[in-house]
Amino acid sequence: MSKTLVMLLAGGVGSRLNALVEARAKPAVPFGGNYRIIDFTLSNIMNSGLERVGVLTQYKPLSLMSHIGSGKAWDLEGRNRGIKILPPHTGEKDSDWYKGTADALRQNLDYLTRYDPEEILIVSGDHIYYMDYAPMIAFHKQRQADLTVAMMEVPLEQAVHFGIAQVDGRGRIIDWQEKPKAPKSNLASLGIYVFRTDYLLKALRNPQTMDFGQDLIPGAIKKDRVFAYPFSGYWRDVGTLAFYFSAHMDLLNPRSVLNPEAWGIQTNLEEEGQQGDRPPVIIQKGARVRQSILGADTIIEGRVEESVLFPGVRVGKGARVINSIIMHDCQIGANAYLERVIMDKKGRVGEKARVDGRAALPNREFSGHLKEGLTLVGKGASIPPKIRIRGNTIIRPWVTEADYKGPVVGQGETVRKK
Amino acid sequence: MASILAFILAGGRVDELSVLTYDRPKSALPFAGNFRVIDFALSNLMHARIWQVGILSQYRSASLITHIGNGSSWDMHGHRRQVALLPPSKGQQDSDWYKGTADAVAHNLEFIYENNPDLVMIVSGDHIYRMDYKGMIKFHQDQEADVSVGFIKVPLNEAHRFGCGTIKTIKGHPGGRLIDYQEKPAQPQSQWASLTIYLFKTKVLLEVLKGTHPHTGREPIEFGRDILPSLVHQYRVFGYAFSGYWGYTRTLDEYWRTHMDLFGPDSRIDLKSWQIRTNLEHERIQQRQPALVGPGAKVDQVLLTYGCVVEGTVKRSVLFPGVHIEEGAVVEDSILCFDTVVEAGAVLKKVLADKRVRVGEKARIGGGAKAGPNKAFPHLLSSGLTVIGRNTHLPPKIRVGMNCILDPYLEEDYFKSLEIPSGATLS
Repeated sequence: MSKTLVMLLAGGVGSRLNALVEARAKPAVPFGGNYRIIDFTLSNIMNSGLERVGVLTQYKPLSLMSHIGSGKAWDLEGRNRGIKILPPHTGEKDSDWYKGTADALRQNLDYLTRYDPEEILIVSGDHIYYMDYAPMIAFHKQRQADLTVAMMEVPLEQAVHFGIAQVDGRGRIIDWQEKPKAPKSNLASLGIYVFRTDYLLKALRNPQTMDFGQDLIPGAIKKDRVFAYPFSGYWRDVGTLAFYFSAHMDLLNPRSVLNPEAWGIQTNLEEEGQQGDRPPVIIQKGARVRQSILGADTIIEGRVEESVLFPGVRVGKGARVINSIIMHDCQIGANAYLERVIMDKKGRVGEKARVDGRAALPNREFSGHLKEGLTLVGKGASIPPKIRIRGNTIIRPWVTEADYKGPVVGQGETVRKK
Repeated sequence: MASILAFILAGGRVDELSVLTYDRPKSALPFAGNFRVIDFALSNLMHARIWQVGILSQYRSASLITHIGNGSSWDMHGHRRQVALLPPSKGQQDSDWYKGTADAVAHNLEFIYENNPDLVMIVSGDHIYRMDYKGMIKFHQDQEADVSVGFIKVPLNEAHRFGCGTIKTIKGHPGGRLIDYQEKPAQPQSQWASLTIYLFKTKVLLEVLKGTHPHTGREPIEFGRDILPSLVHQYRVFGYAFSGYWGYTRTLDEYWRTHMDLFGPDSRIDLKSWQIRTNLEHERIQQRQPALVGPGAKVDQVLLTYGCVVEGTVKRSVLFPGVHIEEGAVVEDSILCFDTVVEAGAVLKKVLADKRVRVGEKARIGGGAKAGPNKAFPHLLSSGLTVIGRNTHLPPKIRVGMNCILDPYLEEDYFKSLEIPSGATLS
């Protein structure tokens, strides 16, 4: 039986994903035609032989909870195995919401000690990567560390987004900067920690400690044994629409490093409200498909190129879908044209509509979210027949045909419900 | 609602399906990428909320056992629900094997007594169809029938292949009194073909089977051939008319043709609206990634699914999970089961490959000029199909003609010649 307890931080809001996180937490965002982002971490946990997992949720956890279900999809259902959802509980005081990674753990002290673990692995459900945590845990024990942080070299210009460390010859962290303006190294924290249980419990006793990178590590490296575990390989934060889109394009190369099946990534194929299992893909006469991923139950009559289609998508006759991500049960009408579009579940595109995500100007309202020339269509939104929608536009969830002001949606506009 | 128990006749090995049924009953045959043939009967039962199900299988097939699992795929797992595999058990006498459909049910009366249902439904597990059994049950109860039998209208010139019933249809009802039944009559008088779906009052079924059990003769006892013809004169027997798609997979050609019915905008097999459930853990379907179509691929009228990778050209074909078509390979009019690999430059025309077959680079299988039927089994294979058993590995550049049968588990070094003429059987 594994002596390591896993705490999975799945509270991420991921607000830069805009409409994709309107009704779900970032870890629950669909990914790769079959999966959700959290599947990568859950599968890594399973493939590392770990057996006890607590999932810390808080932001819109409903779709996350139903996705995790009993944990059976990741072999986490059994007598000595298990996965528990740990939502914030309203305590006697008004403590309610988690105020950071450390605070979230502090509110679940009883769970941390219930199984008497030797060490506690802390991971988040926000990233696309493959990692065997077992060698990291072995490294942690071998170094007799109090805390081990998984770290990876990143391009220096990206270092501003991470906790950055300098290490000595044995991997001991001797300097730490949290999201530094002037990084002294390019060794970045992946937010994956192994704590000696006693050490973590002691650290959590300090009520000022809310966040590991911010509050705990800078002090800890001065007096305690804090090590960096080197990681290299494919690891992507898909927290922006541009990163989310480019990770999908990585999937389309048959020889890509990003290979969910080879990585042993599992998902829960049960979906609420599905009476039958999703049938296979059908490519009809006259259709053309190249360099694409097709989820189950898609029916293609038109053309699909360099795109990722999730289950249940319909592409009508003469329609073209290029360089796009189309989620569950979207219907693309005959002769419609979509290029560089991210479309959330259950969207509808009318016949002969033309949506071209390419644009020079960013979205006016959310310039930080959308500037790379993509168009984002929220869940359940309808696109009227024959309309022209230009790039960096956002069609908000559940927009209906009546919500459009005219036959053209210009660059950088946002269409919302009236 | 009446309590109902169901038996699925999952069949034994059938010679007509050749290498496909060497080690699985025909009900466990893979169908349409994600499914097994028995999924259709099981899903029909699930949607009719029939939760007590016994599967009568001639032998313990690993494939069927794995597929059924604990029944939870069809919600048949719980305190008041179950799906039980009921293979013949060693009795006191040496009459171990089921001798026909009625004998199979008669061997499992215990299963009926234990569950004490009002009605017993007996369905065949080797048909591709979606039927609302609730409609038939209601009809049965409305008519106060002792026995109801499902029928479908077929062309008169094909009726001789089926059990044929004469139904006195009641106006405004989906059927009527069954006044005559003949099994595979030479000169059929009716277009109503039996779907081998029977609904019995439990009391009546027990009375009928009492006369047959224990069965000591060597001849099998079949519901269709031996029981129904006289039953219609002794009990209130009704025919229930079904009008949807009904596909069958009894022969290699039928299996192939039923698959080809999946294509086209007017396909009558609508897997989506049929809401068929399967066991996605079987053959690791659930663990595979979505289908990937490569940059140089051409696909036209193709069914593909989890784990498929297509880098070559595929036309009018059905690919099961994990099938890989490498660059430059061409696959037409074919059915390729789980994890079959077609290496670069190979050409397959009208090939039915069981799972984990590997076709070497630049091999050419099937197609070519018209050829005679398979020499050893002319009655099984004459339509031009070439059939390859599971795990057989064909060497690069081999040429295999049409109407060939290649046994399972042939390794590359088995093939002394790289020319296999049409009509050959390799074992």
